[in-house]
Amino acid sequence: MIAWSRRRTLIAGALLIIAVNVFALAGVAYNRSGEPTSILHLSERELQLPYGRVSSKENSGVSLSLVWRVRRGNDADGADYGAYGGAADWLDQAKLAALGFDVGSDTARRKFKPWRSKEVLLVLEFDGPAYRQALARAQQSADDEEKLQLANPGNQEFERRAKRARDNAKREASDSSRLFVVDAGLDAAALRAQYPDPTHTLIVRGQVRPQRATRDRQDSLRGHIAALSIAPINVPLQFQPALKPPAAAAKTGSFSATVAFGRRLEPWLVALAETARRK
Amino acid sequence: MTQATRSEAQQRADEIRVFRREADRLQRAGVLELSAAQAAAVAEYHRALLAGYAQRFDIDQDVKAGQLSLGMRVASLLGALALAASVLFLFYQFWGGLPTAVQVGLLVCAALGSFIATLWLQGRDHSGYFTKLAALLAFVCFVLNVVMLGQIFNITPSDQALLAWAAYALLLAYSCDLRLLLAAGILCVIAYISARTGTWSGMYWLSFGERPENFLPAALLLFIVPSLLHRRRFAEFLPIYRVFGLLTALLPVLVLSHWGGASYLDLDNSVIEGGYQLFGFALSASAIWLGARRGWPEVINTGITFFVIFLYTKLYDWCWEIMPKYLFFLVVGLLAVLILLILKRLRTASLSSGGAR
Repeated sequence: MIAWSRRRTLIAGALLIIAVNVFALAGVAYNRSGEPTSILHLSERELQLPYGRVSSKENSGVSLSLVWRVRRGNDADGADYGAYGGAADWLDQAKLAALGFDVGSDTARRKFKPWRSKEVLLVLEFDGPAYRQALARAQQSADDEEKLQLANPGNQEFERRAKRARDNAKREASDSSRLFVVDAGLDAAALRAQYPDPTHTLIVRGQVRPQRATRDRQDSLRGHIAALSIAPINVPLQFQPALKPPAAAAKTGSFSATVAFGRRLEPWLVALAETARRK
Repeated sequence: MTQATRSEAQQRADEIRVFRREADRLQRAGVLELSAAQAAAVAEYHRALLAGYAQRFDIDQDVKAGQLSLGMRVASLLGALALAASVLFLFYQFWGGLPTAVQVGLLVCAALGSFIATLWLQGRDHSGYFTKLAALLAFVCFVLNVVMLGQIFNITPSDQALLAWAAYALLLAYSCDLRLLLAAGILCVIAYISARTGTWSGMYWLSFGERPENFLPAALLLFIVPSLLHRRRFAEFLPIYRVFGLLTALLPVLVLSHWGGASYLDLDNSVIEGGYQLFGFALSASAIWLGARRGWPEVINTGITFFVIFLYTKLYDWCWEIMPKYLFFLVVGLLAVLILLILKRLRTASLSSGGAR
């Protein structure tokens, strides 16, 4: 080993610290240079304070997490929220193979050998057909339960179900996130060509893992979208007044936010404004 | 030993102390007779050497000082950890109320300032305790710097941060002769190599722990490469590399010997588990053999510990259900006696070969 003098150590350490900071900041500058790859106008429905951060006294930083859902097939019930990931019917065996998973070597022992997550590109659609489909499905469910309740007057079970379906439809129309994962791929340019509207579609990295699903005693493989690879979006000091008091605003919903995504598919907050509070 | 580190100086001082005691006994027994001039020359040489060490490194010159010094080491470690936690919480408490430019400026200044302070302190603190404290603080400031830049600018988490942390921790460890920072650097290296291995196999980098085989290349590198780089200087760092190398190999093997589903191998789980059980026995036995041959006590101890763990877990799998408990524990006890006998034989063989040399 070379015996380093203190001066050399000082130079090496200082250079390392500066180089790491310059590298990180250059990456940020590159991400934010040019036209954003997506720019979405979201609200409290799609952006929430991370769970457990609402009343943190030890961390004065404020960040917002994307609330996303997974587009389900036509025969599926409801739609998954992203907090715990979600399985997608459209992410079938062929799609998983296209994403690079070795799903062809599926054998009986595979049941005991789980697949691992792989990072791919996910397409998220904001306030588009997937959301309208979820809204229509919730409304249809509320109508169906209403009819059943009318056909069975006095039956408490049908009353409960009808109320739950009505609440669900109401929540879907006014509270639930309109951001849906609708596709996945490996080539950002190809995905952008397929989903050209940057104000309603977003391409980000996320983790997908195949998992076995059983429906009507039929085994099949489905992709489980485990998480998005992007960090919670930091709220800089100048935007924080729109969230004050943070806990109340994040819970009741009262802001609109413009979030841009750059060349490295990393987000930043462009604008955040308080809006009239809903009741 | 013109380029001695503090630990090398301490080792030499301990050897001088032992030598003086033994020379005294030999003289009293009439085995060794030194002339007054020789005794004075040796005493003067040792006195000058120890005075030089005491001035440069503040070494422990007697047993009592050594005992106090152990307490100081514990206090400095606890203090360093507490101060590191304090820095983390301090920044988290206030960073949200600062503009972005101030946040970045503070992070960079804290990392640079703590690094310069560590080197400044190193030149004045011969004991090394305060340097250790400052170095750990400097490392935490740099980790905080990178993590917070990621949070402020929403940067996608990357394994490259581990590489930067490893480089910084190793720089501090080697420049300030600090094993704690060496351990931190080694952990970052293990995480980085394992994450890279996982990424090359198509996994998401943060999931590298789900496939224990990802750790094996790191284990191999840790065990071999430092031995090639270190010759005399920083020889006291080599046991740390070897222990981390062995742990990084043996722990994943232990996991795979009970959870074949986590393996990359496209075989039945029972075959994988059986294979890794055999590999675990072979690896830990090889470690004992290599440690005995090369005189590496830390390798022998790690090998023995894992050999016993592999043996007992296997014994538990095979016998716990079918044997009465008194018989199970009797077998365990007898196995312990057998291991003792084998080690005694190894020790005797090692002593006789040492004597022959």
